[in-house]
Amino acid sequence: MKDYIPYIIFGLTSGAIYGISAMGLVLTYKTAGVFNFAHGAVCAAAAYAFYDLRELQGLPWPVAAALAVLVFGALLGLILERMALVLANVSTAYKIVATVGLLVAIRSCIVLRYGAEALPFQPFLPQETAFRIEGVRVNYDNVIDLLLGIAAAVALFVFFRASRLGTAMRGVVDDAPLLDMTGQSPAAVRRSAWIIGSVFAAASGVLFASVQQQLDVNILTLLVVQAFGAAAVGLFRSLPLAFVGGLAVGLLQKLAGKEVASHAELQGIDTNMPFLVLLLVLLVARRQQLVEVGRHIKERAVPPSPFPAWVRTAGFAALTVFILLVPQIVGTKLAFWNVTATQVILFLSLGLLVRTSGQISLCHIGFAAIGAAGFGHMLQHDVPWGLAVLIGGAIVIPIGAIIALPAMRLPTLYLALATLGFNIMLAQYAFGKSYMFGFGRLDARRPDVWGMEDDKRYYYLLVTIAFLCLLLVLAVERSRLGRLLRAMSDSPTALTTSGMNVNVTRVMVFCISGFLAGISGALYASLFGSVNQDSFNYLDSLVVLAILAISGRRTITAALVAAFLYKGLPGYVDTIASALGDQDPVQVQTCLNILFGVLAIAAAALSQGQFQNWLSDRGTVWEERSSGPRELRYQTVVAARRAKRPRTETDRSDELVGAGSGGRHG
Amino acid sequence: MFELRGIHAAYAGTKVLRGVDLVVPPSSVVGLLGPNGAGKTTLLRVASGLLKPTAGQLVVDGKDLTSASPHRLVDHGVCHVPEGRGIFPSLTVRDNLLLQSVKGKENEAAEKAVGAFPRLGERMSQLAGTLSGGEQQMLALARAYVQNPRFVLLDEVSMGLAPKLVDEIFEFLDLLAKTGTSLLLVEQYVTRALAVADYVYLLNRGEVVFAGEPCELDADALAEQYVGAGH
Repeated sequence: MKDYIPYIIFGLTSGAIYGISAMGLVLTYKTAGVFNFAHGAVCAAAAYAFYDLRELQGLPWPVAAALAVLVFGALLGLILERMALVLANVSTAYKIVATVGLLVAIRSCIVLRYGAEALPFQPFLPQETAFRIEGVRVNYDNVIDLLLGIAAAVALFVFFRASRLGTAMRGVVDDAPLLDMTGQSPAAVRRSAWIIGSVFAAASGVLFASVQQQLDVNILTLLVVQAFGAAAVGLFRSLPLAFVGGLAVGLLQKLAGKEVASHAELQGIDTNMPFLVLLLVLLVARRQQLVEVGRHIKERAVPPSPFPAWVRTAGFAALTVFILLVPQIVGTKLAFWNVTATQVILFLSLGLLVRTSGQISLCHIGFAAIGAAGFGHMLQHDVPWGLAVLIGGAIVIPIGAIIALPAMRLPTLYLALATLGFNIMLAQYAFGKSYMFGFGRLDARRPDVWGMEDDKRYYYLLVTIAFLCLLLVLAVERSRLGRLLRAMSDSPTALTTSGMNVNVTRVMVFCISGFLAGISGALYASLFGSVNQDSFNYLDSLVVLAILAISGRRTITAALVAAFLYKGLPGYVDTIASALGDQDPVQVQTCLNILFGVLAIAAAALSQGQFQNWLSDRGTVWEERSSGPRELRYQTVVAARRAKRPRTETDRSDELVGAGSGGRHG
Repeated sequence: MFELRGIHAAYAGTKVLRGVDLVVPPSSVVGLLGPNGAGKTTLLRVASGLLKPTAGQLVVDGKDLTSASPHRLVDHGVCHVPEGRGIFPSLTVRDNLLLQSVKGKENEAAEKAVGAFPRLGERMSQLAGTLSGGEQQMLALARAYVQNPRFVLLDEVSMGLAPKLVDEIFEFLDLLAKTGTSLLLVEQYVTRALAVADYVYLLNRGEVVFAGEPCELDADALAEQYVGAGH
């Protein structure tokens, strides 16, 4: 027992911090209906703000902590509230896109100012021994963290149950317009929720950095996924259970860490405890318990192209010529274009899943990694190159089918969480194992015929494969399956009532999408001669979704544009940098990432045709202002219709006079 | 005095109201009738600030409140009981009444509500969503009493209820009117509405086609508006 005590102490300490973070996440989710994937980025931003104020500006720590948590946290809350307001009427998929965009933007802002390297962070809470349990020291900071967590949980619980504002926060979840009519501003109520939520996030970020004794933007940003696991315990609704979940996740993590130390094959299981908890809850909780907060909003259908057919044909012809001429014009940048060609397949695959069938996936980079690993292992067994690529894709098919299982029972948001959890587990647990990349590198190569070592020749092969994949996706979209997918995206219920099996359709689309992603991963690996576990960063699964969102909504152009933005544009960063007057290319890339994030938020905010609606509403107002009282003209027409006889000029003037003077009866 | 002047309203460019004028004088009951799609609910949404008109004014006691948000209108004595059930289903009855209460008078709310609808007293810690339809409507209507409003806008409050309950609700409305509260009543039971109303407005296709006292309205003209004869 004594051996376990230090682990329990550390488990409870970090668990309390996860709990604080999770409560903030749950609070904002249930009051505003926007699940904030950028919650961890808020944690990170506050921790860096604290660091800045204390280390760089030299403020005493209590002042710095108060400013970072209470002032900076609250400010971020205000910004988030504005964003959530804009997102209130967009589909869940776009809400995810927007908060992922925010995550990318905040993370890039931090990198821009403080760099991507981890910074040392002096713990600020007293480190002296408070007391001993069976001889094991318990420090003051451990006690303070735990007590803070418990105090926050109890305070929030009492606030929610007993205070008027707390009750209003529960009311705003039920029916925001009714709360407005009842006399309380839903916006103000939500604002308070966002402020409290962000302050909690900020507090957890500062405390977590202190426990870790370092500032690492990636670790802090991913504090949100520890919070996911904790929040799952409370089914994303209950605040006290979210805190308990935090403690449980923290404890499990540290205890598992002790156990797996002696078992190599289990290595990495401990860090994955939050996702195991998350996946477990998502798989065993009853479907009725996992409903999304807020109204279900159907995504607006893609409007028909504004361009006539001949313009589109000419456009695609020009594009084809350009693609074929790329090796002749881009010179040394061709390597980037080769990578872009492989990513076109990835975005085709993601587009089929997200756009056509209305599912969501935050594990596409994971799919690609599995494809790459399968491809590499096949090559080692002397399988011919082309077959190895196909097998790399085929290996992902059963994985896609497994991911389709949660898709069958979970609404979009929880599917997103499940797929993200799967991707992170894959990255943290399976990547390092010998059946994937191992700790070294996994060799991959190009086909050894036709002089493929030459980038130009290989480019044409990649473009051909990408083109075949494009044809496959177009064929799927135009087939019966494609109609089923679009119908499923519109209304799974309607599809079921007309006698279709939606689940079979879901499994099929995940399989096809997985296959394409696997092929893309295999080709990507083939470009570099070898891949290792760092080649496929799970954060990129979030980034690709955000990039797809800003690349337009048509199958072909979206895949091409997204692939270029993702892997082609980075090749031109130094060009842009020198054009901007010798800026640091790394900084320019970071700025581009901020821009992607912001654009993703904008794309989400406008995804339901808000801009067009605004225009038409303004149009009504302007028309009314410019052409005078509308009812005059309208009543003339109605009266004429009622008269049912040919109108004469005298009639008309009579009616005009009549309508003008007697418009209001009584 | 609660006035709507020349209200035009549209949903995403589709016009619903075309220059509607409507007045609710102090201490009076005004009936708002009209067939489906006439724009009654839309007019109430405009009247309670949920929907901003594209043109026209909302004036309460001489103050222009066209751009005021719903909760600001509540401060000016306007109370809108919406179509369907105007309650928070996942809150308890007590919490619902807490939100209905006037700030600073939280404790009075429950007492007043139970005074008007004794049945609610037995249900205080029950979730409002689990109440029967009639009880839910009582809870929603309690607000028209608890908040002490001067103008109450009621959107089909008798919808989907048993006739006995409808009687009970109309009794309550009668009481409410006797305390001097003005009511703007959208009702499907036309005859009942005509019986309690001091003034009637008949709305069709987003326009007022009749305005006056109930006795001036002849049954045939009314039926014509409802079934659309003569168009």
